[in-house]
Amino acid sequence: MMRGMIMISETNSFTEKFDLLGCIQCGRCTGGCPVTVRADLNVRRFVYDAYNEEKLDELARLAEIWDCTTCNTCAVRCPKGLKPLEVLLALRSMVVESGKVEPTVRDALQSVLLEGNPWEKPRAIRCDWMDGLDVKMAEPGVPVENLFFVCCTIAYDPRLQIIARNMVRILNKLDLDYGFIGTDETCCGSEVRTLGEEGLFEMLIEDNTELLNSFEAKRIVAFSPHCFSVFNTYYPDLKSEVIHYTQLFDELVGENKIPWRGELQKKVVYHDPCYLGKLSGVYDEPRSVLQKIPGVELLEFDRCRERSLCCEGSGGKMWVESHSKKERLAETRIKDARALGADIVAVSCPFCLLTLEDALKGLGFEEEMRVAEIMELLGEVVEE
Amino acid sequence: MMGNILVLAEHRQGSLREITFEMLAIAPQLSSDMGGEAVVLLIGSGVDEMAVKIASYGVKVLVIDDPLFEDFNGEKYQKVISAVIDDLKPSVVMTGHTAQGVDFMPPLAVEKRLPLVMEAIALEYTDGALKATRQLYSGKVNAIVAFKPADTYLVTIREGIAEAPEITTAGPVEKINTPLKEDLDYRKFVEYIEAEVGDVDITQSDILVAIGRGLKEDKNLPLIEELAKAVKADIAGSRAATDAGWISQDRQVGTSGKTVKPKLYIAMGISGAFQHVAGMKGAKTVVAINKDPEAPIFNVADYAIVEDMFKVVPKLTEKLKELKS
Amino acid sequence: MKTFVCIKYVPDTSEAEVKVNPDGVTVDSSRFSFDINDADNYAVEESVLIKEARGGDITVASIGPKQSDVMIRMAMAKGCDQAIRVEDDRIAGHDPLIVARVLAGAIKGHECDLVLTGCMAGDDGHMATGAALAEELGFNHATMVKKLEILDGKVKAYRELEGGLMEVVELALPAVLTIQTGINEPRYAPIRGIREAQKKELKVVNLEDLGLDPNDVDAEASGVILEQLYIPEIESAAEFIEGEPDEKAEKLASILVKGGLV
Repeated sequence: MMRGMIMISETNSFTEKFDLLGCIQCGRCTGGCPVTVRADLNVRRFVYDAYNEEKLDELARLAEIWDCTTCNTCAVRCPKGLKPLEVLLALRSMVVESGKVEPTVRDALQSVLLEGNPWEKPRAIRCDWMDGLDVKMAEPGVPVENLFFVCCTIAYDPRLQIIARNMVRILNKLDLDYGFIGTDETCCGSEVRTLGEEGLFEMLIEDNTELLNSFEAKRIVAFSPHCFSVFNTYYPDLKSEVIHYTQLFDELVGENKIPWRGELQKKVVYHDPCYLGKLSGVYDEPRSVLQKIPGVELLEFDRCRERSLCCEGSGGKMWVESHSKKERLAETRIKDARALGADIVAVSCPFCLLTLEDALKGLGFEEEMRVAEIMELLGEVVEE
Repeated sequence: MMGNILVLAEHRQGSLREITFEMLAIAPQLSSDMGGEAVVLLIGSGVDEMAVKIASYGVKVLVIDDPLFEDFNGEKYQKVISAVIDDLKPSVVMTGHTAQGVDFMPPLAVEKRLPLVMEAIALEYTDGALKATRQLYSGKVNAIVAFKPADTYLVTIREGIAEAPEITTAGPVEKINTPLKEDLDYRKFVEYIEAEVGDVDITQSDILVAIGRGLKEDKNLPLIEELAKAVKADIAGSRAATDAGWISQDRQVGTSGKTVKPKLYIAMGISGAFQHVAGMKGAKTVVAINKDPEAPIFNVADYAIVEDMFKVVPKLTEKLKELKS
Repeated sequence: MKTFVCIKYVPDTSEAEVKVNPDGVTVDSSRFSFDINDADNYAVEESVLIKEARGGDITVASIGPKQSDVMIRMAMAKGCDQAIRVEDDRIAGHDPLIVARVLAGAIKGHECDLVLTGCMAGDDGHMATGAALAEELGFNHATMVKKLEILDGKVKAYRELEGGLMEVVELALPAVLTIQTGINEPRYAPIRGIREAQKKELKVVNLEDLGLDPNDVDAEASGVILEQLYIPEIESAAEFIEGEPDEKAEKLASILVKGGLV
């Protein structure tokens, strides 16, 4: 094999796999793609060109295949039910199989294989966020109502650990039947999939299914919309139902089970994470939780729900920097929130929190507003 | 001679390297503890001046001066030192833990079946035993390593662990014949190549001055450049610095940029998000300057200053220039 | 070109707190992650680049536990052809001269033109194994190689010296080169490649299998004794420099200069 050449391991099945002949070239995918304002990504063109097998190597070498954030807008808008973004991910797979990925991507993927998380952290310290908390651990074979699945990013990033810590405090207060998995918990594979490492993703599905099924869980509660979405979409053999934590809290606030201890007299605007909204159809529950917080005045972005603007945090973008010098979508989002007069931009996804908070700091709006995960807000107003 | 320490002088392109003098702060005392004296071996071509300079520190200098040694060649050094060990039977052979020392000391140890300790940061001779302290896990653990009794102990010394001593009454300079008579055909020196300027790879930098959002605007960049110049550092930065266009993307540190391991990392106006810290956690020493006392960068810093960077940097640069001159 | 690449499985301690075990000579590694030694990873990549350019065959040699097989399989997924892993508790691993002797035992008797290994291990950091290995094998060597060119029966090695200077040397093959990080950009080993590499031969051997006398490579055979490990007294928390802005700047400058940091 020549250096720099990218090998396709199997016969090209792009046309069949992605139903490329079904494309009517209407361009709604590209028209709706949020990334087009920043990068030269024309997803329609890829759907068109990928039909030509001989062109695949060339396409896989184009830098813009890494610009896609997998927000799913193109798939939502396609009148023929195609998933244009999957063409880009398959091209990424070709690069991954050749081994010639960016070092950042290489290190993240290798860390998932060796340590079960993409952050190059030892598996042994995955539960360090629990220090000082009384956390109930689930045991294989022992029935548990709510089995919590902590996203790698929440487990390891000190900025995000508060999400899990607040959760435990509130669960203990409510005396809910729950359990956490511990250091065996392993990356759900959402970002592994979008970075194009199909083999590793398959391995994670297999291993995680076995692990999760070993617990007698009535349902699995995911902290991150990414784990939530990927479990529901790509894990056919999971025995337990998987919900997002905002769905659990929607139930709890509905049943008036939350002991409020204070008010949050703030204007809050909710940002729909792509993986919870566009990919999973969960729009109402997070809003309903926020609305129940005493004092909160809930605002709406113009671009909300199905039309929500992507924060550019997913699709492996935590490890692939865009070469565009144009305004980040997260900055656009923060500016929109400010124009609305919001005090708080509430999110329910670790990646959205990181990208939006970064944008807010970049714009210098720290004094007037903040970005907060819903669990952070709940921690401030719920008795512990 | 029992108790004698043979110190190998290190030089390159006509100049003695600092490690030579640093070893002169260690060897005389240690050799006196061992009942001998420190002797310097200088191998080179046309090195009379160097010999005189070394001797001025009050040590005896043995000089092998021959065109064969115009440039460094690890194989030649090994042969020469091997012969000198046979001849002088020193108790210790000491060299710098440098690109030269690491090239010939391990093979020499194998050839002579002598014990070797690499990169000692301290040496102590008590009750007839020589012990070295060295570091493991990038300095997180110290190890005390004892030499078993042997005719000669080999040790390389970390750079910068001692300061050159005062100049004193000059010692004698003595020329000895080269034990190596012919050039080697299996390892040849070709040339020296200076590092290309302009093309900076921050993963290879010894010192990085890293900037973040705290720089505020690009008109503040010259302040940083001046500081970097004063300490021969390269400039790196956070994602915010790349976004703002203050640094090029190949100088971005973090999970979506480069992973760096410099000896010194000066973080200025960088808050220290997890994703940034992941890229610089391997730095040996971290200095953080940030006006926010709660900035997470302070959790990984060795030296911290809570202050607006602009109130600190000009004075810092000025003082560094003054101290280094 | 018949190449051997010697690699080591090491803990990543860059962030972890390191604790010395009660025995005083080992550290508690239960909270570390392990992976191929950084510089060795570059050596693997360089060996594969040479093979891709000139053809040939690469053997991985390593001393380590069963857990390190994943690291070896990754190297094979990248293009190494077979591997030999020495697993034997009797080896005095604290002494690089002993380690070199064992590695030489694994290489001797095989056809070999070139041996590549990292210039330094991230755990014990001796920077000695590769050069010692050359002497054991009777090969030429160059350490800290940041660039190399294979010529006819020779190799041109660019050694990285202090201060960014490169020393170019020419060595007759066979030779051992210790590879500096940054010589290339190591590739990723995809899982499918790792699975595929399961088919390649990975021999696990002990000292007797290599024809080595345990008495030549055990703790008794070493010329040094690892007496004690201890955690140096360093302020784990940052030292906050106080005072007026000018004072802070002056204090910092003097810390940096006196500490030899700049």
